Amino acid sequence: MEIIINIFLLILSVYFIIGLLFGFYFLFRGASKIDPLMENTKTKVRFLLFPGVVVTWPFLIGRLFKSKTP
Amino acid sequence: MGLDYQLVLWNKYKKAYDKIIIISMLLYIILFAAITLIFNSETTIETLVIRAFGSLAIIMLNIILIIGPLARLNSNFLPILYNRRHLGVSMFIAAFIHGGFSIFQFHALGDVNPIYSIFTSNMDYNSLTNFPFQVLGFIALLILFAMASTSHDFFLGNLSAKVWKRLHMMVYFAYALIIAHMFLGAFQQETSPLTIGIMTIGFFTVASLHLITAFKEQKIDSMKMEEQEGWLKVCTISEIEEDRAKIFTVKNQRVAVFKYNGKLSAIHNVCKHQGGPLGEGKIIDGCITCPWHGYQYLPSNGQSPPPFTEKVATYQLKLEGDMIYINPEAFDEGTEVEPCNY
Repeated sequence: MEIIINIFLLILSVYFIIGLLFGFYFLFRGASKIDPLMENTKTKVRFLLFPGVVVTWPFLIGRLFKSKTP
Repeated sequence: MGLDYQLVLWNKYKKAYDKIIIISMLLYIILFAAITLIFNSETTIETLVIRAFGSLAIIMLNIILIIGPLARLNSNFLPILYNRRHLGVSMFIAAFIHGGFSIFQFHALGDVNPIYSIFTSNMDYNSLTNFPFQVLGFIALLILFAMASTSHDFFLGNLSAKVWKRLHMMVYFAYALIIAHMFLGAFQQETSPLTIGIMTIGFFTVASLHLITAFKEQKIDSMKMEEQEGWLKVCTISEIEEDRAKIFTVKNQRVAVFKYNGKLSAIHNVCKHQGGPLGEGKIIDGCITCPWHGYQYLPSNGQSPPPFTEKVATYQLKLEGDMIYINPEAFDEGTEVEPCNY
């Protein structure tokens, strides 16, 4: 059981660490590439969106890649 | 539509609604603390906070889960449904305070990582009566965090309505975890029949209202429509209220037939925003208005008025006397269809 717990918590930690790193890049650079409304969005709103970006980063990375594909 | 995202799109109704939420939450906490201290004056402040916010969160979650079915059964509940998102975020804050204080009191004062401690301080995973119920609460809290943090319209637009909806449907999994967390915790720590009674009533109310709504919708889906040369018989004009619709299932798709200003139009029943039932809404300012969040569509072409871009499929209707018939073949989303005049 302890092995399962360790693996689960490791996956959870890695997921959130990647999310945290991606969150800063996405909200201050990447987001406006997929959503024009983000260009003029204020910093306080970006911070409000930050936790959600940390949670949903795999979907948002997917959208970023799709937006770069011609 | 603004040119940027706002923290919250306030209006006077939302402000009034939020005031009611905050005042109700404060009153509950004060009342809970007073009753607890009267009957058990030795309760510590940490325990009081944990129990007050934990019970508050579950009561709020029960209310959140019954709003949907109540609004389907009675349109008077629609304004509450329209503002449900703020109630959800408030519920998460209550659950977070409960979880945060629990982790601090039971897991943060040793030399083991508190999160690791939640999972390993009690390894009795094979026992029902001594199951580490805090693990269930922790996982439920993660799900509630994911939902609260993605409640802004930015995520609805950028994750797609389908992904967003799936993510937020996880509330039912979180609810199951919380029910198990509460009952297992109650058996281990709190045996008051009153507490268990309140939890049981909450669970059965949520379950029975969902079942009643499901039966009602199944009735619509299983309704047989008479066919006549490729057209399906819908209903008579008088069966539809002015500026309202009746919902029918055509080729496994729910369709709403609206009656307004001496005209009839039919569109696909599912709102592009969050899948709300357009046929349960009404015509406001010439537009079909979704009962969930007020998204609007023109009845003749299923398009949101500019600058919005949402579109739903449209259907052709015809009249024979007082009887309405529908062509079961849907037009592409946003296709203009001449309304049926009567």
